[in-house]
Amino acid sequence: MVSGLSGHNDQISHNGAVSTKRSPASIAQLEQKARKVRASCVQMAFDGREGHLSSALSCTDLLVALYNGWLNVSPDKPKAPDRDRFYFSKGHACTALYAALADAGFMPKQTLSSYGKTDSPLPNHSCRHALPILENSAGSLGHGLGLATGALYGLRLDNNPARAVVLMSDGECNEGSVWESAMFAAAQKLGNLLAIVDNNGLQAVGRSDVLMGHTSLEEKFRAFGWAARTINGNNMTEIVAALADVPFEKDRPTAIIAKTVGGSGIKFMEDQVLWHYRTPSEEEKNRALAELGEAPLQKELSHA
Amino acid sequence: MRKAFAEALFQAAEKDPRVIFLTGDLGFGTFDAYQAKFGPRYVNVGVAEAQLVNAAAGLALEGWRPIIYSIASFATGRPFEQIRISVGYAGLPVVIIGAGGGYTYASSGVTHHAGEDLGLMSLIPGMTVVAPGDPNEVAQLLPQLLKLSGPSYLRVGKYGEPAYQADDAVVLGRARLLREGNGADFAVVSTGQITSVVLDALELLKPDGIAPTVMQFHTVQPLDIVALDSLAKKVQTIIVVEEHMPVGGLAAAISTWRAARVSGPRIVRLGPPQALLLGNPTVPEMRKRLGFDAQAIAEMCRTIARPASRGGSVSAAQPANARLTSDPT
Repeated sequence: MVSGLSGHNDQISHNGAVSTKRSPASIAQLEQKARKVRASCVQMAFDGREGHLSSALSCTDLLVALYNGWLNVSPDKPKAPDRDRFYFSKGHACTALYAALADAGFMPKQTLSSYGKTDSPLPNHSCRHALPILENSAGSLGHGLGLATGALYGLRLDNNPARAVVLMSDGECNEGSVWESAMFAAAQKLGNLLAIVDNNGLQAVGRSDVLMGHTSLEEKFRAFGWAARTINGNNMTEIVAALADVPFEKDRPTAIIAKTVGGSGIKFMEDQVLWHYRTPSEEEKNRALAELGEAPLQKELSHA
Repeated sequence: MRKAFAEALFQAAEKDPRVIFLTGDLGFGTFDAYQAKFGPRYVNVGVAEAQLVNAAAGLALEGWRPIIYSIASFATGRPFEQIRISVGYAGLPVVIIGAGGGYTYASSGVTHHAGEDLGLMSLIPGMTVVAPGDPNEVAQLLPQLLKLSGPSYLRVGKYGEPAYQADDAVVLGRARLLREGNGADFAVVSTGQITSVVLDALELLKPDGIAPTVMQFHTVQPLDIVALDSLAKKVQTIIVVEEHMPVGGLAAAISTWRAARVSGPRIVRLGPPQALLLGNPTVPEMRKRLGFDAQAIAEMCRTIARPASRGGSVSAAQPANARLTSDPT
């Protein structure tokens, strides 16, 4: 595991946005939110006839944890100068991002119904022109980390305490640009940088572990000068605990390798390369929603 | 030109505290004064062009005015994806400097040739693409690029390019009139450092009494269509001289303008072919053998000026030397 530098719990929260200790009840609330977000993703994939459910569901718990108590961002002031910058770099998984944003109050929940439709603010790869509250557009892999490093370098020159978080995929780590950025982040001692790798093990047509030669992402980030830790990225308690420890080491960028399951939360989708692209049939959608036991956010109004 | 760029950069940074310079580990010694004065506003990202561009984009997102620097072939080709997505798609005001554009590094081999830099950058929607012809134009254009709200590419040469004089101001987006013609019904237009060679050709033509209009299209994108429309009323032929491959360069841009018209001047191009440049020639050798040095430009002007050539076919001299231009086969 890590660095031996525990006890950092008390030095985060530079902006007071973070509560480091979570009660079991609050963890249960986050878990319920995650089920709602998953249900929303399934509904979006069905309505919009667009896939990538596997990738959306694997990172859902991470997104919910970030947007509920960790990121210093507010729907009232989405462009506040000292906000934390969140770069969602795995754009194909954007249903989870949209649902997490809607759940956190950044857009009306009903907006989720427009996913994938022409001229929607929610296209099937996240676009900053369509949805200006985003920090970046995504869809092509390997860019989020570089953007974050440049932004942080500039923010530091401005004495701005904002942090930058990048959520990226393990397949994305095939891209050489990720490692150019990793080198820069360590060289420039960007201690306010957090990269979370959604390590779901699946890529578009293969398994990331095979394609990366059965090597450790945690060790790779360490070798590049980062502080890194591997957690279960579908376990809310572990996620919250790891986030509370960020930064793991002073003046080093932090990497959380979140071991996740593609399609997490819906048994018949879990760990199947098939569900990278597949869109659910009506029967599959209903079965998935039944298993989650939560209504999609975009359907809440009609249920009220 | 590079000295002019370093000085213009220094002045820009003095004037605007948001200007920040990033290099992909190039420019040894060139930016010492800048670095000494502006400290953390000088960033060497290493030999990492993808990161060079993405970090600049991240800075631009936070309101900085990044200027990024590498050799033209590395500044445009290697991070084309990052320029396309992080800069172009986002529409960010990043200024990309390609040092040694075109075939400035002819003798350094194919890896250092940038015969496609203007074309690659012109392909990015919203990109302003500029190739100054002399140090003064570099100094004049950089501050104008820094006022844009979107991205730009500035091709600079090496050291010691000759300066030329012209009354017409250097205005971004406007072709610059360098020499008014003496009634000749053709014009010579060019972009980048080859422009001084065009002016050399004019000297050679003095004994012939031939003096075409000469315009420098330092701004390749957006193309100055107003200037071309006006030129079309005055001349039958436009000779385009460029140090760029035919695909994507100034001649291609002007041909696209011409193709949108029912009638207009014919376009004759002088410049390197769409081929690998092997043989590691010096720049003057390369221009001579590929038929776009001062002699070749003057000769084409004479051919066009001859009454017999009106309406007939004109073909530019093409190199016979296979060592200079051979297929990769």
